[in-house]
Amino acid sequence: MTMVQQLAVLACAAGFTAGLMHAEDKSIDWLGDYREALRQARQTRKPLFVEFRCEA
Amino acid sequence: MLSPKDSSLGKLLSQYVCVRITRMDTTDVGLFDRDWNNAVYFFALNAEEQIYLRYGGRDAASPDTYLDLNSLEVALAQSLAQHQRYLSGELKLEPRPAPFFPREIPLLVQRTFAQRQCVECHLIGDFQNIQREQDGTLDKLTHLYRSPDIKTIGIYLDVPKGLVVKEAQGAALAAGMRPGDRIARWNDTPVLTFGDVQYRYDKVDRRAKTVTVSVDRAGTPLDLAIALPDRWWWTDLRFRQSSVDPRSDFEDRALTGDEKRKLGLKPDGFASYVKHVGELAKALKTHELRVGDIIVAVDGVDHDDLANTAELYIKLRKKAGQSVMLDVLREGQRIPMQLNTHILSFRK
Repeated sequence: MTMVQQLAVLACAAGFTAGLMHAEDKSIDWLGDYREALRQARQTRKPLFVEFRCEA
Repeated sequence: MLSPKDSSLGKLLSQYVCVRITRMDTTDVGLFDRDWNNAVYFFALNAEEQIYLRYGGRDAASPDTYLDLNSLEVALAQSLAQHQRYLSGELKLEPRPAPFFPREIPLLVQRTFAQRQCVECHLIGDFQNIQREQDGTLDKLTHLYRSPDIKTIGIYLDVPKGLVVKEAQGAALAAGMRPGDRIARWNDTPVLTFGDVQYRYDKVDRRAKTVTVSVDRAGTPLDLAIALPDRWWWTDLRFRQSSVDPRSDFEDRALTGDEKRKLGLKPDGFASYVKHVGELAKALKTHELRVGDIIVAVDGVDHDDLANTAELYIKLRKKAGQSVMLDVLREGQRIPMQLNTHILSFRK
């Protein structure tokens, strides 16, 4: 795979998450710290939704 | 705008604690194990770190074949239902996997942490494999050919609907799968998403002859024993950033029985027709193969229990960077030709 193709792969993935990013802008508080998320999940009894995203 | 505050997706997400992880340095990759060649991937789990489902996964053709906002909503709703069952004590989940952290991969520490470079997702998988190769534990069928493609056994999903089958062909059709079936279990493990299916399919022993896929057909559960064809685990590796994959810069296809007979070649050999030569072959001078050449043998070997082409034989039996001697048929002449495989070096 060429570098251009690799960048295209990342661009496609970024396109998919664009919808979620809109959600973040409006309401969804995306944490950046997994341990803090785990603490909040215990406190609120909510489930966790974990996104792994390569930003390279 | 795809998911405003009051959208169905926004309402679902607001019922979770959402967290986004972009560096793998301190991530428990034992818990969040997956195919590391995905640029985006999601997990839903509870505070005891019991995983409800995975969302993500891809095929060789595209990173977003199975990514779809509708199926994401289906997944989010399903894991909320799982969470309610968990809170009420009804749900039994698998034990939490043993923790495993990137710093436990010595080569990753040496080459990435020590250089203060970002530990990207794909580096986890690649360095796991490099370490396995160095330790003598690399099983290429399992570790290099991760995430077998369900289309190889004829399963085509109606992606926006999650695990609803759009079309069944080949082995899946022969086993009785029908459009509209919803896949519920894979080898007796519950699955809710394509990510779950791909993860479970990847766990199937590469020597297995069947996989049991349980479906819900209009409310009726059915177990379907799907016969696995030869090389069911094979996928095109070219999208992967893998350093243990010997790159040889050509594509081939297996000769048919008739073609072999006409050429006087072994019927069970892996003789193959070169159908494409990559530009890198010229740039790196790795070999001088041409389209139309027939590779008869590699290092004097012309048969393999697993490989049906010379290119696959090299992938399975040689190390990246190794040179091999090909036995090539060109215009009626049999000629020896050196091929130098090379290692992909991706921002290590």
